[in-house]
Amino acid sequence: MSKPVLQLENLSKTYTLGKREVPALVNLNLTINAGEFVAIMGPSGSGKTTLLNVIGCIDKPTKGKVLLDGIDATELPENQLYKIRRDKMGFVFQTFNLLPYLNARENVELPMEGRGKSKSEQRKRASELLAMVGLSGREEHRPQRLSAGEQQRVAIARALANNPAFILADEPTGNLDSQNKQGIIKLLANLNLTQDTTIIMVTHDSQAARNTERMLLLKDGKIVKEIQGLHVNKKNHKCPHCGSMIDQNDDTCPTCKKPIYGSDEIF
Amino acid sequence: MGIINRAIRNISRRKIRALLVIIALGFSMAIMVSIPAGVLANQQTASAVASNLSNVITQTSASINQTSTQIDCSLAPSFSGFGFRDFGGSGTSGGSGFTPGQFGGGTSGGSGFTPGQFGGGTIGGQFGGGAFNGGQSNPMNESLYADIDSTLSGVAAVEPVLQASEGQNVTQTLSFNGYTRDITRLEVEYTIEGIPLTSDLVDNYPVLPTNIAAGSNLQAGASGEVLLSENNSAYFNAGVGDAITILGQTFTVVGIYSPSSVAQTQTLFMNLSDAQTITNNTGYITSLTVFAQNTDSVSGVATSISTLHPELTVTTDQTRLTQLQTLQTTYNAELASAQSANSQTYSTAIEEIVVVVVATSLIVLFVMLYTVKERTKEIGTLKAIGFSNSTVMGQFMLEGILLSIIAGVVGIAIGSVAAPTLSSLLLPSVGIGSRTASGFLSGTTRISGLSVATLNPELILILFGAAVLLGTLGSLYPAWRAAKIRPAEAMRYE
Repeated sequence: MSKPVLQLENLSKTYTLGKREVPALVNLNLTINAGEFVAIMGPSGSGKTTLLNVIGCIDKPTKGKVLLDGIDATELPENQLYKIRRDKMGFVFQTFNLLPYLNARENVELPMEGRGKSKSEQRKRASELLAMVGLSGREEHRPQRLSAGEQQRVAIARALANNPAFILADEPTGNLDSQNKQGIIKLLANLNLTQDTTIIMVTHDSQAARNTERMLLLKDGKIVKEIQGLHVNKKNHKCPHCGSMIDQNDDTCPTCKKPIYGSDEIF
Repeated sequence: MGIINRAIRNISRRKIRALLVIIALGFSMAIMVSIPAGVLANQQTASAVASNLSNVITQTSASINQTSTQIDCSLAPSFSGFGFRDFGGSGTSGGSGFTPGQFGGGTSGGSGFTPGQFGGGTIGGQFGGGAFNGGQSNPMNESLYADIDSTLSGVAAVEPVLQASEGQNVTQTLSFNGYTRDITRLEVEYTIEGIPLTSDLVDNYPVLPTNIAAGSNLQAGASGEVLLSENNSAYFNAGVGDAITILGQTFTVVGIYSPSSVAQTQTLFMNLSDAQTITNNTGYITSLTVFAQNTDSVSGVATSISTLHPELTVTTDQTRLTQLQTLQTTYNAELASAQSANSQTYSTAIEEIVVVVVATSLIVLFVMLYTVKERTKEIGTLKAIGFSNSTVMGQFMLEGILLSIIAGVVGIAIGSVAAPTLSSLLLPSVGIGSRTASGFLSGTTRISGLSVATLNPELILILFGAAVLLGTLGSLYPAWRAAKIRPAEAMRYE
C-alpha cells in the first residue's frame, strides 16, 4: 500500500579515531515506507545517531546507498544536499538547538528562508505551526523564557516548516521530564496520524519507543531486532490494551480507560 | 528575519564584548584615518616651509650677487680731525681716535659723517672723537681710472660716484677736565650723490635706491632731475614734481625714496654730470664702485685694482657676503631637512598604516574565529535545517563587516577629535624645520603656523571603504571555517 521513501542499501560507516577504525554502521539494509513512525533503539555506541545523520544527509556513509525517493543522496554534491535537508528533512534534537537570540516564531521561520516565500507568508506559516504544537501565545518568547517541553515543541514546529517528507528526531525526549516526554511523543504520533509525516526517532527510552509503529533494535551497527509498536493499533483505531475501537484523537481508551500513550503494559 | 537582522542581533547579544571589540577596532581605525590626515598636514607645512625657504634663498642669492660683486674703490681719506682720546695724556696725534670700522670703510672720504657712522660713544668714557673737520673729499680724476673697466678682466661694470655733502660749518667749544678746544665741523644738511645714469647701470646694478615712496625712480639718461630721500623732501620742503634749487641749479623732483640705511637718510641722487657741474668737480669723482662679473671673480678683480692703482683703498663687502652665504647654507639645509622630513613622513606613514591595517584585520580575524568556534553548534543546527554553505559564510562575513563598519564610525568620531594628537604622536614632525626657518626669517617672510591634521570628507569615505574591506578580509577565513563545519560533527560539539 505505501511506497518506500527511504531505502538503505549495504550502508556502512566507519569513523577513524587516530589510527583506530571504529565501525558505526555495518552493511545495514533498511526500507522505510511513507507515513511510517519508526523508532531506532539500542545501547550507547550502537550507531543510532550515525544512522539518523546519514539518513538526514548531514553525514556521509563510508559505503552503500541512501535512496531518497529512489535517488542516491550519497552521490549528490553539497549544493544539492542542503536543499534536501531544507525541503525533505525536519530535524529535532535532544538539546532542541533553538537559536537563543531569536524568538519562537523567528526560529520556526529559519528553514523557510531562501525558499522564495514572502516575509508575511513565512510569518503566517510559523504562527500556524506554533498553534499546532500548542504554543499560540508564546510566539514572541525567546527560548530562555520557554520550558524544555515548550522549546522542543518549537523545535518540532521548526522541523515541520517546509512540509518535510521526514521528521528525524534524535532523542527528542532525552532532556525532558516524564510529563513533557509524553506530550512530545503524543505530538509526534499525532503528526504521524494526521499529517502522514514519516517519522524516524532515535531513542533509548523504551517507553517512548513503544508508542511508535515499528521499533528497530540496533547493536554494533546492525539491526538485530524489529518489533511492532503500539502505534500500529492506533492507526487501526484499536485500543492497544483491550482492542476496542478508539478515535485517533483519544488519549485514553473510551472502553478500558487506560492511557493510549506512555503505557508500560505492553511487552 | 533576514541575514542582516540576525547579524545585528548576534553582535548585540554579547554587549560588553562587542563594545570592547568596537572600541579597539575604532581606535585602530582612528589611527588609520589620522595618519593620512597628518601626512596631508605635514605635506602642507612642508610645502609652505619649502616655498618660504626657496623665496628666501632666491632673495638671499640675489643679495649675494648684488653685494658680493660690488667692489668699492676710493682714495684713502686723510683726516684732519683731532682725537680726544687719552685726553691730557700724551697728546695724541689727530685721527687716532678713529677706527676704520666706525667710519664705514671710508666710502665718503672726508665728506663729513653720518650719525650712524660716527658712533661717538664707542670709545667709552674717553670722549670719543672723530673726523670733525669734514672738509673736502679726496677727489679722483675720473679719466685716470678708465683703465679699470678697459683693461681688467672679470669686471662687469664700473660706476663712478661723486658724493658731496653740503651744509654749514659749525664751530663748537668742547671742554674736558679743564681743557677746551674750538672745533669747526660741517653740519650736513644734504649729501649729493651723482651717478652715471646709463641704462646698463640703472637696469642691471643696484646703483639707485629701490624703495620708492612717491613718484618714480630716476630713469636712464635723466638730467636735471633728482631723487630725494624723505629727509631731503622735508629739508627742501618739496614733493614729487616740484622744482628745487641745489647749488644754484634748478632740478625737478621725480620721486622720493625711503632710505634703507642710516647712511642714506640725507642722500639725494642725480646724474653724475649734473653733480659734477654743480659742485665744480667736472671730471672728478669721489669713489668708484666696480661690479665684478660674479662672486668668484671678486677677490681677483679687487687684487687687480689694487695692483693697477695702489693708491686706492679697495674694499669688498666680505663680511656681509660671508653672512649671506652662511644664511644661504642654513636655508638650504632647512629646505633639505624639510623635504627629507616630508619623505620620512611618507615612509613612516606607510609603515604605520600597514601595521594598523594588519592589526585591525587580525582583531576582526580573532574575534570572528572565536565567534565561529563559540557558535559551532548553532552553525551545525543551521546547516542541518537546510542552510547552505554560502548563507552560513555570508552570515559570518556580514557580522565581521558590520562590526568593522560600526568601528569605523567610532573611529571617525575619535579621529575627528584626536587626529592632531594621534598624527603628531605617530608621524615625524616637519614642524621643527619650519620653526627654525621662521626664526631666521624676520618679519615679512614668517611662516604662518603649522597645518593641523583634520579629517576631510574624502578621508572619511576612504575610511568607510577600508572598514568594509578590513571587515571582509578579517572575517573571510573565519566565515569559510564556519561554512566548512560538518553538521554531524558540529552537533557533537559542546
